[in-house]
Amino acid sequence: MKKLIALIFVLYIGVEMFFVFYQIPFGMDRVQSKVGKFYLEHSPKDLKVANAVTSIVVNFRGFDTLGEVTVLFIATTALGSILFRSRKVHNRLNSKRTSVEASMIVQVAGRFLVPLIVLLGAYVFIHGHLTPGGGFQGGVIIATGVLFLLLAYRQFSVNHEPITWIESLAGATFAGLGLTGIFVGKTFLENFLGTGKLNDLLSGGIIPLIYIAVGFKVAAELTGILDTILSISVPVEETENQN
Amino acid sequence: MEQVLTYVGYIFVVIGAIFLFLGGLGIVRLPDIYCRLQAGTKASTLGAMSLILGVGFLQPQWMIKALIIIVFIALSNPLSSHALARGSYRHKIRPWTKEDIDAYAQYIKEQGENEAAEEDKQQEKQES
Repeated sequence: MKKLIALIFVLYIGVEMFFVFYQIPFGMDRVQSKVGKFYLEHSPKDLKVANAVTSIVVNFRGFDTLGEVTVLFIATTALGSILFRSRKVHNRLNSKRTSVEASMIVQVAGRFLVPLIVLLGAYVFIHGHLTPGGGFQGGVIIATGVLFLLLAYRQFSVNHEPITWIESLAGATFAGLGLTGIFVGKTFLENFLGTGKLNDLLSGGIIPLIYIAVGFKVAAELTGILDTILSISVPVEETENQN
Repeated sequence: MEQVLTYVGYIFVVIGAIFLFLGGLGIVRLPDIYCRLQAGTKASTLGAMSLILGVGFLQPQWMIKALIIIVFIALSNPLSSHALARGSYRHKIRPWTKEDIDAYAQYIKEQGENEAAEEDKQQEKQES
């Protein structure tokens, strides 16, 4: 009976989706709104940025993105301050993260997979204005690499002082680039550098610079969060009985 | 020549799609996590590799990138499956078996005994 209801529900959704998308011709440019058209036309022409999403996120709505980065920073700080106490308590109980070490396969693979993962993350945020992806995505990929290390080696721990520095410097770079726009004589977060050629790595003015800063910032924040969460998660009494 | 490459590419894409479908079916139909991991890893590794190779044949200028992605999948997909299976075993999820065969439990037991013996030896050394 439950399955029948689920099936009917899925069928209903499918039919509705069909009728919605049936009217849109496949593969045609259906962006009729003026705003969307403006972005799509102007981001390759004026800014020389191939990825329209990036040009919207960092240039046209750069102020929004600065707000987002701030929200991320506040969330990280709040999480860290909540977890800090319990982390201290658990550290006394259990200096090692888990009682069972990850298998040798994981450890050996980590040695050559982690550099590749970090390289991919750096690639994603450096090429944010050319290909899909950008600072946020690249930062998350780098944090995944660190998570791999944290899971594979139980002695591995993150030093929080450089992370704080990286995070602060990256945030300051973003805001500083915005302020430089004012000093140059334009508005806040105005794209004051030359835009270069379309599809060049060095193009798009301050967009790649901002995305690199965002990438560093997101990577540092998520690494800090992951390390804090993992270091409190397993008190020693609970795991010893399991094996 | 290009025609042949296109056909080869489409054949690879279709094979990949079939294997990915079977992997998805296996995740729905198989009884426990270890069997599902087989479906989710073996089938989807081959499926994704074949699909990406097919794309490489269809667009020859992407072939090098496709090969790099294939190597990465070949390295990372079995690894994650291994880690998941090991983790779930260590969390006391029993495999779905007819007979009571559990070679890994025996291995863990022997290893634990070895480690305990080594620790004893070290303690004796420290005491003496």
